[in-house]
Formats: sequence, C-alpha cells, structure tokens
Amino acid sequence: MTGLLSLNNIAMEYGPLSGNDAPYRVFAGLNFTLSEGERVAIVGRNGCGKSTLLRIMAKIVAPRSGEVLWAPGVTVSLLSLGLGFRNELTGRENAYLSCLLQGLSRQDARTSLLAIEDFCELGAFFDKPVLTYSAGMRARLGFAAALENRSKVILIDEVLSVGDKLFRDKARETLYGELTGDRGVVLVTHADGEIKRLCQRALLLEGGRFAAEGEPASVLADYAVLDTKK
Amino acid sequence: MTLSHYIILLDTLARFRLRAETRRYYLGYLWWILEPLLYVAVFYIVFEKLLNARQPEFLVSLMVGKLTFIWFSKSVTQAATSLELNKGLMAQLDIPKHLFPLSVLHEGLYRQSAVFAFLGVFLVVEGHTPNALWWWLLALFVIQYLLIVGVALIAALLVCVQRDFQVLVQLGMVFLLFMSGIFWDIRSIQDPVVQDWLLRLNPMAVLVDAYRQVLLWNEVPSASYLTWVLAEALALLALGALCYRRLHFWINERVITR
Repeated sequence: MTGLLSLNNIAMEYGPLSGNDAPYRVFAGLNFTLSEGERVAIVGRNGCGKSTLLRIMAKIVAPRSGEVLWAPGVTVSLLSLGLGFRNELTGRENAYLSCLLQGLSRQDARTSLLAIEDFCELGAFFDKPVLTYSAGMRARLGFAAALENRSKVILIDEVLSVGDKLFRDKARETLYGELTGDRGVVLVTHADGEIKRLCQRALLLEGGRFAAEGEPASVLADYAVLDTKK
Repeated sequence: MTLSHYIILLDTLARFRLRAETRRYYLGYLWWILEPLLYVAVFYIVFEKLLNARQPEFLVSLMVGKLTFIWFSKSVTQAATSLELNKGLMAQLDIPKHLFPLSVLHEGLYRQSAVFAFLGVFLVVEGHTPNALWWWLLALFVIQYLLIVGVALIAALLVCVQRDFQVLVQLGMVFLLFMSGIFWDIRSIQDPVVQDWLLRLNPMAVLVDAYRQVLLWNEVPSASYLTWVLAEALALLALGALCYRRLHFWINERVITR
C-alpha cells in the first residue's frame, strides 16, 4: 500500500479567543498515515478537534507545527453538502456550480447533472429555486451533488445524518459503493454502526492526542468507556 | 486548480450571482441601469434644481462622472465583504481566496458593460458623437479595472483582518465621491498645486476627468496622470497578489474561527 497523506507530529491551536486568554490548544503531536484503499474513522467528543483535523488534511487550514504530506497528484476533498448553494438558483444550477467547485470540468459537470437529477428524485423541483425546497429536499440535492466528487481522498464529516430515513439508506449505500477501490477515506461520525461496517481502522481523539488506535470495535469500546466517565 | 478551471469558476460564480440577484427583484436586470441612474437623478435634483449650480452640460458631465465612479465604488464595497460572505465555502474547500473578490468584480464588469452601453447611447443622443478619441476609452477601462482589482483585493483582506474596516471602506467611498469631481469639475480648482496634488493622490479623480476629456471635451487625456494611476493600480495588484499567496491559510483560519 502507498501512503496518500500523512501527518507528522502536527499541532494546532486557535486564538487567543479574547484579549487576555492564552491560545487554545486543540491538539499536539498527532501522527497519522492514510494508505490507498484504507478507510479510517476518527471518533471523539464534540470540540475535541475532529473537524479541525479534517480541515488540515483537506488543505483548508495549516497546522501550527508539524508536517502534512500529500502524495504527488493526490486530490483531497472534504465531502460537503450544498457546496456554494444559493437560494435563488435552481437545483440544476446549484448542482452544476457544486460540481465545478468540486473540480469537475464543465463537460463532466453537465454529464453529472443527469446522475444528480436522477439520484435526488426531486422531479420538477430540480428546476425550481432552492428557496422553495424543504430541508430534506435540499439535503437530497446536496448529497447527490457531493457524490460526484472524484477526489482520491474523501474526508467525511457527519454528512450521513441528513434527509429522511429512506433517502438516508439509499445515500449511505451509494456512498459506500463509491468509496471502494484505491480511494482513501477518513470518516468522522458518531454512528458506531457506520464505522464498524465501513472502516478498517479507527482513532480516538481525546485530550489533544490520539488516545486509542486500532480495530474499530476496540476503539469504540474505549470511547464508550470515556463517554460514560463524562 | 488550473488557470482554465479558475477562469471557468470565476465566470460561473459571477454569472450565477448576477442571476440570483436578478431573480430577487421584480425589476430584475433593469436595476443594473436604474440604480446608477437614480443616483444621478438625486445629484441632479440637489445640485442643478435646488442649488442652481448652473454648470454647462451639468447632466451629461454628472452622468459620465457618476456612472464611471459607481463601477469603482460598488465593486470595491461589495468585494470587501466577499471573503466573509463565503466563509461556508472556505471552511469546506481548498480554494484560492482571491477567487471571491475577483468573482464579485467580474460580476460588476457584466453590470457595468450595460451601464457603459447606456451611457454611450445617452451621449450620442446629447450630440456627443463617437470619434477617434473614443479609442482612449479602452485604455481607461483597462486602467480603471486594474485599479478596482488592486483596491478590492486589499479592501477584502483588510475586512478579513478586522471587520471594522468594512465601515472605513464605505466611508472611504463617500470621501472619494466628494473628492473625485463627480458633481463638480476638478479643473475648477484655481490653485494648480492643489489640483495637481488632488490628481496625484486620488486615482479616481484622474479617471473621471479623463473620461470627460474624451467623451465631452474631445481632448486627449493626460498620459502622465494616467501612467501614474496605472502604476498605483499595478502596485496595489502586486501587493494584493503577494498577500493572498502568503496568507492563504491565515485568511481561512481568520474567517472560519471568528
């Protein structure tokens, strides 16, 4: 297996949040490597830095110290619902824009519109402004557009908890189907079932470091113990 | 991101933003021309009708001044908040940050082309027929656009540093409106030293004067002042480009975490 991305001894802090505060240390000394075809879950309590970690992997923010290495030519995306959506634009227009933002060419984006229209099952609403959509319809469109992401590394931050159950199940199945092969996946979720089913490895982020790492079932058991102490 | 994809994205963001804006209002695209004209109407009523300014060709001169200045002021004011307004996207996507102010300016370019077309028709109706000097307009458009890009990049960055700059940018536009000879003629300043200083310090005063020279007075604009404006624009652009390159991650962090 080849490493797609690796974090070497990275640390992150924010702030100071107000005048006299010391900077807020999110985590420090984290090491991590994602290999081709590997699916890894990161679990931890709210505010422990999971989203920040994904943003560092996605080249959105830089760590305060340490080194982040991406394999040459590897594209990384944080899977996002409703990327760049504007209420006044139609579902079709928003989906097209979302595809372009995810790096698709104009031709590929136009082709993807057929798949998106089919997948989101919005019918005539696909050509109506998004402001007329319910939250569920918006989530369907957002998810369908996000599925068109072609990046080699996909980072997922709790995007599977949207829409009605029927659509959620369909979305989950399709997403999992897309995440096979040599793509690398980092998943942040509180859904234990998803982790056990999808991931080969899990990490527990707690107290600014990786407190546990290994088989998903074992890491989730550690996390459960931690959660009961809360 | 390749340059071609950047340009496609820039253009799509601008066109979709225009489309979204237009759908929000009953009069839609008409506002592109109506809004600047209403500003002109306000100045015309106050200065010509209430204050009896009695300047020759006041309305035509005001139209040229205001319709060119509004391109600058509106573009810069809107671009100044563009990083803040796109924080959602910036939190999810690794994307060049200058794309946001530049897409706002690109949108302004579409809008302004309709305004310039209207102004051209208005001038012809008023008896100012196109002549060879109008080729100078191409140079003026390019210089003004470069100036807008330079100022807007820096303004957006300053608002990102501290939101308070948004108020200062708006105030700055009002100050420039009064200092650029929109509803008065910069040549009416008697003291040549003061006039020279004003033109050296305020690039929009030079541009407004140059548009009037070409469109109304059949004069060749001052190459020396225009070169000065071009140099200022290019310096701001270079500074902006450097800052956006160096502060790529810092901008994201600043916008996302506040």
